[in-house]
Amino acid sequence: MLKYLFAKNEDIPAGSAAIFFGFSSIVWFVIGTGLGSFNAAKLAFPDFVTGNEFFAFGHMRQVHVHAVIFGWISMAFAMAMMYITPALGNTRLWSEKLGMWNCFLWNVGLSLGLTLLWAGITSGREYSDFPWPIDLYIACFIAIPLATNVWMTVLTRRTQGIYTTNWFFTAATFMVIIVFVVGNTPEFFHLTGLTEAYMTWWFAHNVLGLWITPVAAAIAYYTIPKVTGNPLYSHRIGHLHFWSVVVFYSTPAAHHLMSAPLPEWLKSFASVEGVLILVPAIAFVSNIMLTMQGKWNMFVENLEVRFTVTGCLLAIPLNMQGGFQQTRAINWYVHGTGWIVAHAHLALLGFSTFLEGAAVYLGLQTLMKRKLYSLTLGNMHFWLLLIGFSIYWISMTIAGLIQGAGKIYEVPYIDVVIAEHPYMIARWIGGTMVFISNVLWLYNMWMTAREGTVVPVGRMPHEMAYER
Amino acid sequence: MAWVMDNPLATTNSPAQNEADQKLWEAEDLGGITEDNNRLPIPVVWLLLLTVLTAFAITFPLWGQRPTPAIYADYLKDMDKPEIQSITNDDEAIKKIVAMHQGGPNQAQLERHPITMNELRSLKPKIEELQKKGVDLRDYTVVGTEVVFANFEGNMRANGTRERFQPWWDMGYTIDIFYVCIFFLGVVGVVKRLPPSSWQPTHGAGH
Repeated sequence: MLKYLFAKNEDIPAGSAAIFFGFSSIVWFVIGTGLGSFNAAKLAFPDFVTGNEFFAFGHMRQVHVHAVIFGWISMAFAMAMMYITPALGNTRLWSEKLGMWNCFLWNVGLSLGLTLLWAGITSGREYSDFPWPIDLYIACFIAIPLATNVWMTVLTRRTQGIYTTNWFFTAATFMVIIVFVVGNTPEFFHLTGLTEAYMTWWFAHNVLGLWITPVAAAIAYYTIPKVTGNPLYSHRIGHLHFWSVVVFYSTPAAHHLMSAPLPEWLKSFASVEGVLILVPAIAFVSNIMLTMQGKWNMFVENLEVRFTVTGCLLAIPLNMQGGFQQTRAINWYVHGTGWIVAHAHLALLGFSTFLEGAAVYLGLQTLMKRKLYSLTLGNMHFWLLLIGFSIYWISMTIAGLIQGAGKIYEVPYIDVVIAEHPYMIARWIGGTMVFISNVLWLYNMWMTAREGTVVPVGRMPHEMAYER
Repeated sequence: MAWVMDNPLATTNSPAQNEADQKLWEAEDLGGITEDNNRLPIPVVWLLLLTVLTAFAITFPLWGQRPTPAIYADYLKDMDKPEIQSITNDDEAIKKIVAMHQGGPNQAQLERHPITMNELRSLKPKIEELQKKGVDLRDYTVVGTEVVFANFEGNMRANGTRERFQPWWDMGYTIDIFYVCIFFLGVVGVVKRLPPSSWQPTHGAGH
């Protein structure tokens, strides 16, 4: 990597930045899920690793969350953008060198930020936990260079149209800068009280809604048509999806604070918009499912399609939960319980991870021109990830319902803790399966780079999946 | 661009523009990916309509809205009445107060936000202080035993009163209906700039 940082742009091979981003994202996924497994063990077995504040749950939790969001998910997005945006524009990435620096500074900044969180230096606001210098660093050295590269690649494309995926990429890279700068205003300007609470959740909601969800969906809009060979079912539905994400996902921040003394009109407005998040979800899922017509055999046979379609299918329970759990009646029951933790993992470890996983598999193989080292390991990765995630999601959903009942019926707290215990163990088992699956994935991709069969010019790696 | 009024769901582009768009769509492969131009399947249209109706129906504030101190103002007056003060059991006392306001204008909200005598005692000095200031209690929200400034609806007149208050059943709904209508009009407008869905690009396996 250091060699390319100081090389001339034209001397850097096309796709280098995407490859470095791809491997960085997998490494961060291993670290993030390893931390998740460790944290889950602390909840399942309270005597596990005690006596050192750096291994206390309160220190470790934010490191897990931020490693996964800004390491795994966001770097996988960057990988997808650096690979897919030029491919859809029939051109090269605008600047491989900027991409390399972007990747380098991203890893440095994230390592620094996570170290600070680990040391207990935090803003204290969930999801925007990074202290403000790191927030500014992320905006200046991570988000803006990424956006610049994506926009300039789209501007210098050699096609006249802009495909749906690239609308999402260009819009999301713009929106995430706004989200970062505006969402962290409580820290920049020391805003307090309800303003602080609202802005904190405006940030948290929109990191999900205007960054993770649209970019993950954009990846599916590329992966499915590209691998199946079917054209996207509808350009029109793509429009509906795109604009409804922008309009309905950007407004429901107040639904995270339904019990706070925010104005009732704001909560009602947010709650309606919260249900209307189903509009982009319906548009997205129907467009992808209809694109799959005649190619459902690939759901079984092809790893990238299996990952993508699984992610799309997980969008259905995700958005049904998300739409309805924020209404006053249901929020009263599930707010502040493990249900929400389960839902967050359904979004990040279910829906979005499966879509990004497909992009990283497809992108790394295509760019390195290497066939996957081991399809068996790829299949094991998929099933361990899916089963581990499902165990986690189901156990935490049940645990959340128990906590909700305990909260409403004023059951003594310690009784709820005891009732939760088996589910905390299940959560740890599920999370650990996810961690193990990612170790296998890292090994598989590393070996693909070193020993994968070379893909001949004119062929795609997935076409050779079953060839020896 | 102009709407064709006798066929409002037709494309808003001129025939020449449509033809140019169709040629472009057919000719270029968008860097390896192509798109068809299908309309939304009818069951999905119904599903979207159902979603919009459900969104408004399920968030209707019959349940779960926080109370304003205004609904307890009459309860506070009753606390000082001899017939209430003579009751030593708190549960009996609050039952009596509630019974005295059966059929009142706030009955529905009071039923959704029951309160104990202890809570009333805690709230009483705080609400009375606000009343002394002459503020409108509907601007405030009761959170446990605290009273906090929470509602910011309508412009203030010079005398400190509000130009209008939204009724309890319309907290945020009119603005939302407007917002949703503008969205769907906007999206239909955007989609109508495309070639008509009756035209399908013929994307073969060669893309």
